[in-house]
Amino acid sequence: MLAQGRPRGLRLRYGCSSTGQQRRLLNHFISKAPEPEPTQPPPPPPSPTPTRFTLAVKDNIATTSHPTTCASAFLTTHRSPFEATIVTQLRARGARLVGKTNLDEFGMGSHSVHSAAGAVSQSQNEPISSGGSSGGSAVAVAAGEADLALGTDTGGSVRLPAAYCGVVGFKPSYGMLSRFGVVPYANSLDTVGLLARGVGMIRGLVVGGATKKGLWGEGDPRDPTSLSEGARGRCVAGREGYGGVIDGGEREGREVLRGVRFGIPLEYNIEELDPGIRNAWAKAANTLQHEFGARVVPVSLPSTRHALAAYYVIAPAEASSNLAKYDGVRYGTRDSDAASDAAGGVLYAASRGKGFGDEVKRRILLGSYTLSSEAMDNYFIKAQRVRRLVRKDFNRVFALDNPLHERETFDLTDLDESIEMEDKWGPEEVDFLLCPTAPTLAPKLADVMKQTPLDAYMNDVFTVPASLAGLPAISIPMPVASEAAGDVAGKSGAAGLQLIGQYWDDARLLAVADAVMNTLQSVTPR
Amino acid sequence: MRRFSTAELGRYLLTGQLNRRGCLHTRPPRVLAIAAISQITPSRTFTSQVETSTTSTSTSIPPNSIPLRKQLKDEAKALKASGKKKKKKADNQTVPGWELTVGIEIHAQLNTARKLFSPAATSFNDKPNSHVALFDVAMPGSQPLFQPETLIPAVRAALALECEIQPVSRFDRKHYFHWDQPSGYQITQYYHPFARDGRIVLGARDGIAPEDGDRVEIGIKQVQMEQDTAKTTAQPGDVHWLDFNRVGLPLVEIITLPQIHHPATAAALVRKVQMLLAAVDACVLGMEAGGLRADVNVSVRRTADGDTAPLGTRTEIKNLSSFKAVEDAIIAERDRQIAVLEAGGVVEGETRGWSLGSTETRRLRGKEGEVDYRYMPDPDLGPVVIGEDLVGHLASSLGVLPDAEIDELVGTCGLSPKDALSLMTLDDGARVEYFYNVLDALEDRLGLASDAESDHRDALLAANWCLHELGKLTELSSDLGMTPDGECGVPSADLAAILSHLHRREITAKVAKDLLWGVFRREITAGGVTQTIDAGNLWFKELSEQEYEELADEVVAGEDKVLAEFLRFKQGKAKAFPQGKLMFLVGKMMRAGTEQRMDPASAERVLRARLENVYLPEAEAR
Repeated sequence: MLAQGRPRGLRLRYGCSSTGQQRRLLNHFISKAPEPEPTQPPPPPPSPTPTRFTLAVKDNIATTSHPTTCASAFLTTHRSPFEATIVTQLRARGARLVGKTNLDEFGMGSHSVHSAAGAVSQSQNEPISSGGSSGGSAVAVAAGEADLALGTDTGGSVRLPAAYCGVVGFKPSYGMLSRFGVVPYANSLDTVGLLARGVGMIRGLVVGGATKKGLWGEGDPRDPTSLSEGARGRCVAGREGYGGVIDGGEREGREVLRGVRFGIPLEYNIEELDPGIRNAWAKAANTLQHEFGARVVPVSLPSTRHALAAYYVIAPAEASSNLAKYDGVRYGTRDSDAASDAAGGVLYAASRGKGFGDEVKRRILLGSYTLSSEAMDNYFIKAQRVRRLVRKDFNRVFALDNPLHERETFDLTDLDESIEMEDKWGPEEVDFLLCPTAPTLAPKLADVMKQTPLDAYMNDVFTVPASLAGLPAISIPMPVASEAAGDVAGKSGAAGLQLIGQYWDDARLLAVADAVMNTLQSVTPR
Repeated sequence: MRRFSTAELGRYLLTGQLNRRGCLHTRPPRVLAIAAISQITPSRTFTSQVETSTTSTSTSIPPNSIPLRKQLKDEAKALKASGKKKKKKADNQTVPGWELTVGIEIHAQLNTARKLFSPAATSFNDKPNSHVALFDVAMPGSQPLFQPETLIPAVRAALALECEIQPVSRFDRKHYFHWDQPSGYQITQYYHPFARDGRIVLGARDGIAPEDGDRVEIGIKQVQMEQDTAKTTAQPGDVHWLDFNRVGLPLVEIITLPQIHHPATAAALVRKVQMLLAAVDACVLGMEAGGLRADVNVSVRRTADGDTAPLGTRTEIKNLSSFKAVEDAIIAERDRQIAVLEAGGVVEGETRGWSLGSTETRRLRGKEGEVDYRYMPDPDLGPVVIGEDLVGHLASSLGVLPDAEIDELVGTCGLSPKDALSLMTLDDGARVEYFYNVLDALEDRLGLASDAESDHRDALLAANWCLHELGKLTELSSDLGMTPDGECGVPSADLAAILSHLHRREITAKVAKDLLWGVFRREITAGGVTQTIDAGNLWFKELSEQEYEELADEVVAGEDKVLAEFLRFKQGKAKAFPQGKLMFLVGKMMRAGTEQRMDPASAERVLRARLENVYLPEAEAR
């Protein structure tokens, strides 16, 4: 398998590839050596032979067939001795690996430009951001080169590229899909995400069907943050939709959506929101309410405005710790000019300075500072408090309880005044939150390069809260009126509509997202 | 008295399996109730039967350590180089006008089959890099898997130190770069350790400074679990080899309060911690073998300032690997700090090092060079919840702690405290197990019930032989090969056989010693003691009363001068009985007769009777 396609490592950007012009421009694969179609079907598993599908894997997820570079100069030659659990699970369901996709180094970035393998573009005509950090995976799916792609979502890294590239990106509840074999960026936030052109494929894999077991039910003892079988059982007790997708017997979208309560978070209507996206968002809400019998109510998530700041304290702190292992002793090239580790201690500093890209260095420095003894209390500890408040906000608006926490009581005084009270206990509770995935459409790469790092961080404002709370969220394509999309040349106006559900309500979230996506496409043809 | 190994307990507590031939509850915490317990299959054997592939090989191989001769040589060299004469340590416990304050951090390797966060086996001298899991070398994408059985020795250690076990504890990452630390951080328990608020009581027999009186109590601030680092072996030419077998081994760090004021007491504390940990089977290797390391924090203040004055600036001396090093380093650092202060200087808060045999500590790094460890809760690891039932069970099965055991040995076996302590500490605590095995077998042979009210002459005999006679065997070269459950090159059953014949006066002490050598050199096969005595006709066939009397008559003849001495005593002219003269005559008897058939005690008794009944009246009459 390996002998057929020479692993191309990070030399792709120098054009030494033989796979054609188009892909070189997109630069969405780091190594691409499709596994051959099996000449004979694999030994029959207990269940009937699975349907075959092609799979692209983000290059920070370990595979034994291809190098796992994380788009970092430190790991250009790193071949993992083991395979990530999620890859093994998908293989068992019929996946055939076609390659490892490009990303922001170690998953740190929002446009897939901070890569040792060069930037990803989603268009052959003009360099346009594919979003990040799972940009390569989103482009591979959008271009039809893979039926399914694996990404990682720490603060929106699957949902944002899905929104920019017009595909579906799903981030499951934290602890549902195993992270064993996923090179960690920020362990307490990292999740494995799935990208596809429709919701159905993802739903079939996660929820399962009459004949195949859903991924939601498979705990992994090798990942200490993967929920145990027992905990999965308790979580699923108060949830609907885990019985499996009944093939062919799908309920009509209208039927699924009737009576579903969608919350519109008022705090998400920010100044920076692109007017075209704001209109499309309002229009989608209107359609769901007036044509499909759903209920749409405004809700308040007061901690939202602090969530982004908290994320950019917690994630870099964990990153600075996780990336301490890359020191030139086992990975990367050691700077041989530098002396020893003894007094002066520059051996590691020099190697790390050369090995990491700028964005990674920036986040390591940020994280090292917020963890330092003088800053810990003011940054890291405070950010953890904010994280708790964010989670509390979500628990207040959702009708379902969070099975991981005791029922809390909420203070109503900090709610936005425009929120109507349903009764004396508070406002109406909802099933899902409905909001845009990103405040803008996909920008040109040229504009991205001009941005300050802070501008790029702004893209994560709608995706970070669900990550902080560990909730399931999905981005589905949302058509944007052409006049608003007009400034993005050569690209139809695709933005992302995000649905966020309560913890472990993934099955219903996927069913509803499927129906909503069908609705949007039927009502607003492109 | 056997203690249950952590491996066996772990299996019982975590998977509900137990060797059914014994029971954790039945054993009353009594020292001499041996017969009931000795039937339990040795736990190590049990372990190897169950999991041949993963068990630790720690117990079978003696660990590497610095040869004593090299150590002594280095010390002598360093002393010569310094040009100073060493002050005797006993006279160097205090400096007039100054008070010393010391706190100690002790790191001990836990006795577990697996590493703290990976199922790789623990090992000490196996082939380098042969027990390494993905997580141990920080392979990207690998994750820590907490091994719950590591809690058992850890909790036992904390209980032996009288700590309060915390129901919830957490793991934190401590960041610093070093090649022996593959992940760039060590996982430890900084914010929420699993045990707090313990204490350790040291008595005079533990070797504390005389200034501390009979007894001193030192508080334990906390006990935490953490990972060990890889082992570095320096090679010629600035090359270092790394052995990742050691990386991730579970350690406990024991942190005392700064309540120690004398160097000898500090060394005694470390020694006692080692003894306690060995007693509860919480750690495998002693300090000399590298299983225990200590860091000491030293500060001084003027006694004139009173007790309420704040402590002086402290310095930390890292990585002390012997009891002697602890005491010497503290003395050296104390004297250095006093010298600095007396010269009008200021003590800097810094980290210092100590090399074996030196007389001064050396600066490693100053405060400005201090590492900010950036402690952060490990986001992959959940809290450790320790149930009260586990703590209760471990507390009730902890066994007798060394202090109580020494008291028993002194009280019931009539040992001196010094001998009792030696017995307890020799061979990492295995010697005393051997003693119990011997005593058990001996009492069986003698038909004594172990709890019978007897004079325990047999126990004293067994103790003396286990300590002194056994010690003589290894004075020259070879090793006894003592195993943790108390067996060695001299099987306990064979020593018991020798001692039972000796106790019944069926053989002489000299023959007994010869037999011991025979067993040790394997000239006598196991179980063949009695046969050897038969074959060599070594039985003690004592002279008859009449033969003793004849011998006595023989040696007294012509010793009129000596007889006169006894007469003087009898007539009240001399105050003391001339015992020396008596023994002189006994010696003559022994030489004149057949020594193998004589008991000096019998010779003395008969001679004395002869003197009093025959010779002295005769002389008086003359």
